[in-house]
Amino acid sequence: MANGLLSGFRALDLTDEKGFACGKILASLGVDVIKIEKPGGDPARNIPPFYQDIPDPEKSLYWFAFNSDKQSITLNLETSQGHDLFMKLMKKSDFVLESFPPDYMDRLGLGYEALSRVNPKIIMTSITPFGQKAPYNHYKSCELVVAAMSGVLETTGDPDRPPVKESPNSVYFQANAAAALGTVISHYHREITGEGQQVDVSIQECAASRNINSLLSWLFDKRLIKRSGAINLLGRIRSRWIWPCKDGYIYWYLLGGQLGASSNRALSKWIDEDGMENPLRQVANWDEFDRAALTEETNDAFEEAIGKFFLRHTKKEIAEEGLKRGINAAVVNNPADVLANRHLAVRNFWADLGYPELGITLTHPKHFFLCNGTENYVRRRAPLIGEDNDEIYGKELGLSSREIAVLKETNVI
Amino acid sequence: MKNTGKQALDGVKVLDFGWAFLGALSGRHLADHGAQVVRIESRARLGPARVDRQVSISTANNPDDKPLFTYLNTSKYSITLDLKHPRAKEVITRLIHWADVVVENFTPGTMRKLGLSYEYMSKINPDIIMVGASVYGQTGPLAREWGVDGTGNSLSGRYYLAGWPDRGPVMPTSVLYGDVVTPYFVSSAVVAALDYKRRTGKGQYIDVSMLEVCANQIAPVILDWEANARLQTRTGNRISYAAPHGVFPCIGDDRWCAIAVFTNEEWQAFCHVIGDPPWTKEQRFATLKSRKENEDELEKLVAEWTRKYSAEEIMQIMQEAAVAAGVVQNSQDLVEHDPQLEERGFLVPLKHPVIGVFGHPTPPYKLLKTKAGVRTSPCLGEHTEYVCTQLLGMSDEEFLELFQEKVFE
Repeated sequence: MANGLLSGFRALDLTDEKGFACGKILASLGVDVIKIEKPGGDPARNIPPFYQDIPDPEKSLYWFAFNSDKQSITLNLETSQGHDLFMKLMKKSDFVLESFPPDYMDRLGLGYEALSRVNPKIIMTSITPFGQKAPYNHYKSCELVVAAMSGVLETTGDPDRPPVKESPNSVYFQANAAAALGTVISHYHREITGEGQQVDVSIQECAASRNINSLLSWLFDKRLIKRSGAINLLGRIRSRWIWPCKDGYIYWYLLGGQLGASSNRALSKWIDEDGMENPLRQVANWDEFDRAALTEETNDAFEEAIGKFFLRHTKKEIAEEGLKRGINAAVVNNPADVLANRHLAVRNFWADLGYPELGITLTHPKHFFLCNGTENYVRRRAPLIGEDNDEIYGKELGLSSREIAVLKETNVI
Repeated sequence: MKNTGKQALDGVKVLDFGWAFLGALSGRHLADHGAQVVRIESRARLGPARVDRQVSISTANNPDDKPLFTYLNTSKYSITLDLKHPRAKEVITRLIHWADVVVENFTPGTMRKLGLSYEYMSKINPDIIMVGASVYGQTGPLAREWGVDGTGNSLSGRYYLAGWPDRGPVMPTSVLYGDVVTPYFVSSAVVAALDYKRRTGKGQYIDVSMLEVCANQIAPVILDWEANARLQTRTGNRISYAAPHGVFPCIGDDRWCAIAVFTNEEWQAFCHVIGDPPWTKEQRFATLKSRKENEDELEKLVAEWTRKYSAEEIMQIMQEAAVAAGVVQNSQDLVEHDPQLEERGFLVPLKHPVIGVFGHPTPPYKLLKTKAGVRTSPCLGEHTEYVCTQLLGMSDEEFLELFQEKVFE
């Protein structure tokens, strides 16, 4: 048994792409997570990209990424036998994770009230686009639609084009992390009091809660913060965050006061050494540099010079030489850069997971955090469809191989 | 479900050194669920949210008129303490004794410099749970570097993937990611560690890196690079398994609606809803594959239709036909026009003693029995005396003596 913070507890994971990262987070904490898939597999197994681009429910890299360390059984919850088998497992479990449309579990007699009658300690975490209650609870949705409704999309993108989404499924991942937190907090309470409960996660509301600054601007000043490309508008200061360099992009911004002083000074010095025109030189004392007092004209002149400077240098130069000089810039890494990042390698951030059926090994992010007294990380590739049917139905629930065969024939599992 | 009036983390005691967003939000999750979270502040070195002036109500000289601080620090207690004062250790030692959990997010190494390393704390309180949250993590070649939300998002690969294929990366103008998502992991780790301590008696040191949390978010893209040598990049609003899948112009000034069509059934419903114009019958739009091949043209035709309606109308028409669609809402919509967020209690009006009544966000993950109980944020040092005399059990004389020696500055 793994030695994670929550080893020894069990979750039944009924989710699709809207919720399966939550189970992965719990699994990395040591929770024994059993993915319950409908016969044929979780429909989210059909989401690309696929290994070698071959559409196959056993080859979805997207599914692999968020289902590692889980076991898988198949079960048709819509049959009475399926219902009963689920209840048997649920009785011995600590968590149920689900992302069905609200009411679906109720209609099957598997809503929270029904589960808690059998197992009052159960925690049921429901992850849906808009939450359990009306009016939008039955709206059709997806990552893009829920990002739109959350207000995040509106502030992202170039001003001359439509708003644009963030990195793939950012909103789902955030909501899943929030769901895991709600689940763990409920667990703490349950272990002390014996009281289980339902956790109702709205993906929209999770993303909406990120709008800290834009909400304040509206509430206090009736000011809407619009999308502005790679320009940041935290507060009232417009500040470029992302700059093109010779072979990619760099993250750097002009920060006022003592916090920004040493990196501003170092960058200005480097611009000088490059023999370039350097309007930053007009700042006499960076320790007293007031970013908010910078006129638009001066800001533009600074940005032009800094922009030209970055264009002369490669990502590698800025990462290595910039580090020595203390300019505090970061490379806007592409996915290959991330995998090759030395800092992450030194921190043992990667885990090589074997996929014997495909004859390959894939390197996955290993942990969400490190802990000195326990081991909370990924160990095993995502399961095949129903890979653990024999283990769970046979060994654990004591069904004979004949009974299991009948369940398969009747499409219960 | 009946609210039992209890909170899930009643009885949990947290010492919060959280700076800026990441640390402060981590403590907030715990405080909103009933933990007693004592925030350590300094009058000489105010945190960035105490001096933030992004809204006009905030003045230069009052640390208590900052709604940003409130959003990051609801339900907490505030004590001021001059950590460099020779007698501050007397207070800190008692706070460490008192606490179950210490959360900090200074640049790694800072706590050690302040004499507040995990080794030191665990000598005073052997089963203490301590979390260091940072951009890079506590170890590794870049551990001593400092960064902000954008640093973590950039290094993790997230920023690279947002924007248009023919242009550079973009990021939300004023909306953070790493600073908001990482605290969920900090708080989850803390609460799981509390449960572990309850069972085993053992404390824990926890190291959370924003870069690593964010890199987990793009794991499928990293796997695609490894397995298929495909280096994904920016795609605008397109994805490979749906079309149309985009954001379309509507009536009004900068108003947009997101529409996403995945299955053939949804495509049929979509065509029907827009009145089955002849182009929808063309071969080049008949299958997902052909729609993907002709997506530029498809999006133009869809936009011709959407321009005639408001975003709200389009959402409603599409949803009635079971097609995924949603208004691209702005902050005003979130506050004033979204009945769903209102039903959820997204913003709860609370009275702040200096700022007055305004909407405070509540945790978006709702525990239906032990509900979150959000209280407004503390004023600077509001609870210094309460914490010292009531929580730490100092005598009035002792408190006054330290007070007069200016320990609580």
